[in-house]
Amino acid sequence: MAPLDQDDVHSVAPEVAVEFFREIMPFNTLDEEALNRLARHCRIDFFPKGTHLFKTGETEVEYLYVIQRGGIKSFIVDDEGVVTLKDYRGEGSVIGALALIRGTRANLDVETVEDTFCFLVPKQIFLELINEQPGFAQYYLKSLSNKVVATAYTELRRHKWTRRGEDDLYLFTKRAAELIKTVRKVPATCSIQEAAAAMTRYRVGSLLIHDPDKPEVIVGIITDKDLRSKVLARGLDYTLKVEEIMSSPVRTVESQAVCFEVLLKMMSTNIHHLAVEQGGRIAGVITSHDIMLQQGHSPYYLFKEILSQTTFQGLYPLSQKIPEMIRSLIKEGGKAGNITRMIAVLNDHILERILTLLVDYMGPPPVPFCFLLMGSEGRREQTFRTDQDNAIIYADPVDEEQKKDAESYFKEFARQAIDQLVNCGYPLCPGDIMARNPKWCQPYSTWCGYFERWVSAPDPQELLNVMIFFDFRSGFGDAGLAEMLRDHLNRLTRRQEIYLMHLAKDCLAHRPPLSFFKSFIVQKNGEHKNTLDIKGQGITPFVNFARIMALKHEINETNTLARFNVLVEKGHISRDFWQAATDAYELQMQLRLVHQLYQIDNGILPDNHINPANLTELEKQMLKEAFTVIERLQSLLKTIFPVV
Amino acid sequence: MVRLSDVFRWLRKPHPLLVENKELFKNFSQSRPLSEYTFVVCDTELTGLNRRRDEIISIGAVKIVNLQIELNETFHQYIRPRDLEHTKSTLIHRITPEQLRAMPSIDEVLPRFIHFCGDALLVGHYVALDMSFLNKAALEELGGTISNPSVDTMRMAMGYKEAQFMDCYGHCNLSTSYNLNDLSNEFGLPKFKPHDALEDALQTAYLFLYLVKKMKQGKIRTLKDLYEAGRNVNLLY
Repeated sequence: MAPLDQDDVHSVAPEVAVEFFREIMPFNTLDEEALNRLARHCRIDFFPKGTHLFKTGETEVEYLYVIQRGGIKSFIVDDEGVVTLKDYRGEGSVIGALALIRGTRANLDVETVEDTFCFLVPKQIFLELINEQPGFAQYYLKSLSNKVVATAYTELRRHKWTRRGEDDLYLFTKRAAELIKTVRKVPATCSIQEAAAAMTRYRVGSLLIHDPDKPEVIVGIITDKDLRSKVLARGLDYTLKVEEIMSSPVRTVESQAVCFEVLLKMMSTNIHHLAVEQGGRIAGVITSHDIMLQQGHSPYYLFKEILSQTTFQGLYPLSQKIPEMIRSLIKEGGKAGNITRMIAVLNDHILERILTLLVDYMGPPPVPFCFLLMGSEGRREQTFRTDQDNAIIYADPVDEEQKKDAESYFKEFARQAIDQLVNCGYPLCPGDIMARNPKWCQPYSTWCGYFERWVSAPDPQELLNVMIFFDFRSGFGDAGLAEMLRDHLNRLTRRQEIYLMHLAKDCLAHRPPLSFFKSFIVQKNGEHKNTLDIKGQGITPFVNFARIMALKHEINETNTLARFNVLVEKGHISRDFWQAATDAYELQMQLRLVHQLYQIDNGILPDNHINPANLTELEKQMLKEAFTVIERLQSLLKTIFPVV
Repeated sequence: MVRLSDVFRWLRKPHPLLVENKELFKNFSQSRPLSEYTFVVCDTELTGLNRRRDEIISIGAVKIVNLQIELNETFHQYIRPRDLEHTKSTLIHRITPEQLRAMPSIDEVLPRFIHFCGDALLVGHYVALDMSFLNKAALEELGGTISNPSVDTMRMAMGYKEAQFMDCYGHCNLSTSYNLNDLSNEFGLPKFKPHDALEDALQTAYLFLYLVKKMKQGKIRTLKDLYEAGRNVNLLY
């Protein structure tokens, strides 16, 4: 008879577990041996829907839970019992990584939202992987939300070596020559004050100093820091020559040096401004800031970069960096509401730069004006490449002459503004709702007239076409004009609510895309066969509802989430409904962002057509739940506008 | 001289392994919490369903400890049947007759399997079939039967679905399929390759975990509860 203990029979890990892990990040980086070892040490457990897996601060986490089938939600319960939803995770996701890495108890409450099967990786096996596999620690730190990780990371860094991510690759590929901008220089004989004025004019933090007789010979450099420490702090006379304070000679790097070498030189010499030498001549200056900017993902750097532009051309490439930045925000776990607001801030600043440059170029306007943003821009809800929706409102001219001046000034101003926005990557509005359309470039009194007509004698069809105007906000210029117009609209609404009825009727006309059996209705034919229009069918009802309620209650916010927040604060909607609606709205915005990001990555023009077949079961279920909120929202609207 | 017990196998004394096996269950109690029992979920592959003529050609089994499937304790073994000719048609895809010829015979494998089971309860989908073939082999090779109590996931599924239907409509509809594959689909369980003894055992283990935790709204605590939950369909025997 064979020996009773035949380990070889038992030592083959079930193929299913190996296959499962092979498909999942970051386990897919493991070699066969490690994968087999991992699979053999796993357990499989089943948690019926509604199982409370983790309790914050109580549960000792003994395993990494890898979801094979089903889904979980994680949430926080505060002292007063208020539940804040943090995340949903579905198949292939893990739970417990952070607690295991930090060696703490559960940091979130976790509950299964479906019948869920998990592979359980014992703590020790997981920590071994973290220690031994370079990709592992890095992966989990990245995938965990930024805030929570911040503390964990410092702890971890002390013991563990983490590999540089791909984000750092630019350090080894970009060359110094690619980063330099136009050389800004002044002769050594000019005064300190003149040099400072030049730096302000050029919006630069450093200035090269050349030989007074030979402009191509660079003799030194001054920086903001020199002005502060050598001039102001010492009370130096700023009519002195700039050569008194310049650093000389200038430290240089070769134009072919890669960023890594440049950064190394800066770090070793503690000099953050280096001149770039190309063919024996100084071609420009490179700063540590320029190199940091190459990461291109940090909203802050992008923000600073936009602000420092003094030419239209300088702005063109910057708006292209927004998708990259959004990607990293999404990966760091940013919520859709915050991300779209961030996009709005950056777009607002690009607009601000364009229009400021334009005013500088054209001279001051004859009357005060305000550049209005409407639609998704007005609501600060743009995703990627949203069409322009804008208009100009200007103060009523006092006489015929001023009227003519204003008309011709703003006509030219609008034309150029729209062109520059197109150059920066904001497509034209197909409906021509743009400031360059004379109809939408008008004085205050004309705008009041527009709204009076829309509100008091509504033609239902026209009203729908101009719906986006009701989301206007100031984008640039005299915000007071936009506020006055908003006050006027509120007064009109107080007198005449009938137009809201029409808006409500339209909102009720669109049934949520759920059939009676709660399965998805997708478009059956045409270009977008088998897809779901997440914007039109899913998001728009929320936007419309928030708009109608905001107009009714004179809430001046234009952002949908902000409108919902004010509505609940003022008691116009219940807290329960508010929670359901904002969750549903944000989820759909998130799906839309991820969908569009995927399209951009694959060279497809972003759209709003999601194929439900590409969603995970969990996403589908959540989307279905979001759609059922539309039914609630519609019945609420029916009770508010009973005759509709 | 021919020994009587070689001719009439049932006269033979049971193999010490079976005596030991029987001893394990002398004081078997049904009242401990389920998580304290070890379960061995097994599936056998047969050359056919004729009890007299057909044989076991593979055994697959996984262990459930603390109501979790342990992936480091699995059992998977092909077995060389006595009648290889008869077997050819059954195994065409996964193993050639030559490979099968190289496998150990049941008298080698069975003791290892009994050892693997230890004091665990045996779980199977329509476990009676597996048990009857295992016991037939045990009687022939070891002169006795296996004492491990068994649990049938098919009967558990019947009990679960009956209770569900009763709740909804007040009457029973048992016309649905209780095939392992169909049940796994119905309950949305992860799917494994059918007709591989180990993967079928794993599939059955998933079904077992699912049912144990879903029956009676998760209020099944002890083996006795499990028995009572399926009493009307005679769950344990």
